[in-house]
Amino acid sequence: MLRFVERKWWYFGFSGLLIVPGLIFLLLGGLKPGIEFKGGTLLDVRFDTPPTVADVSEVMTSLGRREAVVQVAEGGRIEIRTFEMKPEDQVAAETALRTKFGANMKDFNPQFVSPSFSGELIDNAIRSIALASVLIVLLIAFAFRNFGWAAFRYGIAAIISLLHDAAVVLGFFAMLGYFFNVEIDSLFVTAVLTIIGFSVHDTIVVFDRIRENLRLNPGEALNPVINFSIMQTLARSVITSLTVVLTLLALYLFGGFSMRNFALALLVGIVSGTYSSIFNASQIISLWQEVEDRLRHRATPAPA
Amino acid sequence: MALVAVLAIFVDIPKHQISFPFNCPGICLKIGDVQVNQEIKTHLGLDLQGGTQLILRLQYEKLPTGSNATQSELQAQAIRVIENRINSLGVSEPVIQGLGTDKILLELPGVDDLQQANDVATRQAFLEVKVPDKEHPGQYVSLQPPLTGADLNPNGVYVTFQNGTKPVVHFEFKGAASDRWVQISKDYLNQPVQITLDGKEVSAPVIQTVFTTGAGIIEGNFTTKTANELAIQLKSGSLPVPLEVIQSSRVEPTLGRDSVNRSLVAGAIGLLLVAFFMIAYYRLPGAIAVLALLYYTALTYAVFRLVPVTLTLAGIAGFILSIGMAVDANVLTFERLKEELRAGKSLRAAVEEGRRRAFPSILYSNLATIMTAGILFWFGTGTVKGFALTLAIGVGVSFFTAVIVTQMLLHAAIEVSSLRRRRLYGVEEKAPETRGTTTPVVAV
Repeated sequence: MLRFVERKWWYFGFSGLLIVPGLIFLLLGGLKPGIEFKGGTLLDVRFDTPPTVADVSEVMTSLGRREAVVQVAEGGRIEIRTFEMKPEDQVAAETALRTKFGANMKDFNPQFVSPSFSGELIDNAIRSIALASVLIVLLIAFAFRNFGWAAFRYGIAAIISLLHDAAVVLGFFAMLGYFFNVEIDSLFVTAVLTIIGFSVHDTIVVFDRIRENLRLNPGEALNPVINFSIMQTLARSVITSLTVVLTLLALYLFGGFSMRNFALALLVGIVSGTYSSIFNASQIISLWQEVEDRLRHRATPAPA
Repeated sequence: MALVAVLAIFVDIPKHQISFPFNCPGICLKIGDVQVNQEIKTHLGLDLQGGTQLILRLQYEKLPTGSNATQSELQAQAIRVIENRINSLGVSEPVIQGLGTDKILLELPGVDDLQQANDVATRQAFLEVKVPDKEHPGQYVSLQPPLTGADLNPNGVYVTFQNGTKPVVHFEFKGAASDRWVQISKDYLNQPVQITLDGKEVSAPVIQTVFTTGAGIIEGNFTTKTANELAIQLKSGSLPVPLEVIQSSRVEPTLGRDSVNRSLVAGAIGLLLVAFFMIAYYRLPGAIAVLALLYYTALTYAVFRLVPVTLTLAGIAGFILSIGMAVDANVLTFERLKEELRAGKSLRAAVEEGRRRAFPSILYSNLATIMTAGILFWFGTGTVKGFALTLAIGVGVSFFTAVIVTQMLLHAAIEVSSLRRRRLYGVEEKAPETRGTTTPVVAV
């Protein structure tokens, strides 16, 4: 049998390796808010026969507008989204596009786009997650009510692994932002919420098994029961994640361009969620128990 | 169960060829005086369809002092007025939402004309009749109490064309205001009376005869369009507070049409892969799970169309997450079923035990998700709200399909003798595995 509990410091260490670099880039300002958050300029350009997105992107890049997002719209139009452009920048963009595409380009129409996505939305989301976390702790404590006060540690462990998964994704995108200028949009906020939902779901399934096995084996020590419970739920955890990963991979590979980062965020989060539910959540319970035992028998400290 | 499936598929079909009971878009019920007229269609959000988004601020500081309505009352009233105006414009699926107590969020899918949207939202449309000031000739004063647009009868407001070309707006006062209007025509016969809109003079006709009803007309310099707009605004009532636009934007569809289609294809490929995997790994139960999933998708989509839920990208994400959880409920049940079979239980006992043992996990994990979704819906705004709503509906429906539908199908399957072979459930034909007994825990 795999020694899930005994190796917990290895698993915690691996999580640390994933999270710490991410956090550093997060502090370095790696998360780049997209045009949705900051507002900017939308260039609505009409063509007789629309050129490829790559050709238009090339023109924008040559103007130093690496952040420009180019999309094909209806009616032979191309939409280019950039950060706010001064009128002279807009003229420069128009000239550059006309030089490249000549008479094929019919119409050039710059518009100001104000941030459609207020900070209020993120504040509300964070506040809601905090409140939801409290309720999740209470719900899990209720499910484990036979264990007395120890019931709460299960809820708290679930929240810690939730934070773990959120941190992994935020850190990952901070790195992508730092090195590849990947921006985050409202879809990213949604992806993080989705990951949080999945993470709690996954953790509860493992905990429920621990609860059942503890009930069936009243005299058994905690660590073997945890090992066995993880073993029993392992197939389920892997299979469920696999089905979600399959869907997301399809979305990443075949879905539209703007869905890519969304699918990527979910992929990273789901894999992290599966990892934390197998290798972190229950290990936190075990660690808690060991610390408590050690405090209780301070005279004769137990080996870690 | 089968009935629900038929109903769900009926709701899902894009356009009904048969109009039942008669020319009705969707469900029409008439019970006594209550008439339900729910149109069935898929509602696309601003991010999938494009349109205009405005954030309006209520200028409370411009209110005359001594007004005793609270801010939230005024905000609710302003939202009602804007709602009426938008509805008479025929914009589908507008979103009108209060933000805090001093802002209003307005989303108009499919509307590209920012100027028109601004006008609709900010014209206060405060009509007032003023009479000549006796002390200052040439000026006009308000009556005591003021005679305003609040006293108009909405059904008496309409547009006609004078001499067949010049648009004029008709109005009619109601109740006591109607008598006052007649009284004014007696008091100020052969004198001009001023009609103002938002404090500006629209016209100042001289009263030629004594009126017999509360009706009148406004002759301004109207075009057909402006006359119609004014009529709509007078009908919908005036805004209780002047509004200003603090943010306006034309929202482009986040995904181009091309992108939406590709993502749908990708989603279908993903679901096919999942179905293939489930059947390959779980055999018969896997096939049953795929049936239950199809049932689930049809039912959830039907609920979305009925509620109706406005589908945004975030909403679709919530839907995908709920599909994942529906799969998980099935996986949990089947893993338990396999365990029980390996422990040597009979098929029937194993199905029953599998359900009983998997149930708490499914219950608590779904409860946690629904709770989170509930809180996100309650406190969230915009994108987050849409996500929470579809997630909650999806998980609610999946709880029903994964627990009840899958179980019924499983129970039905084990009654068929040719489907009773253990290999169909992914377990060896005889000889239960002994792996479980070497462990400290023996599942009983």
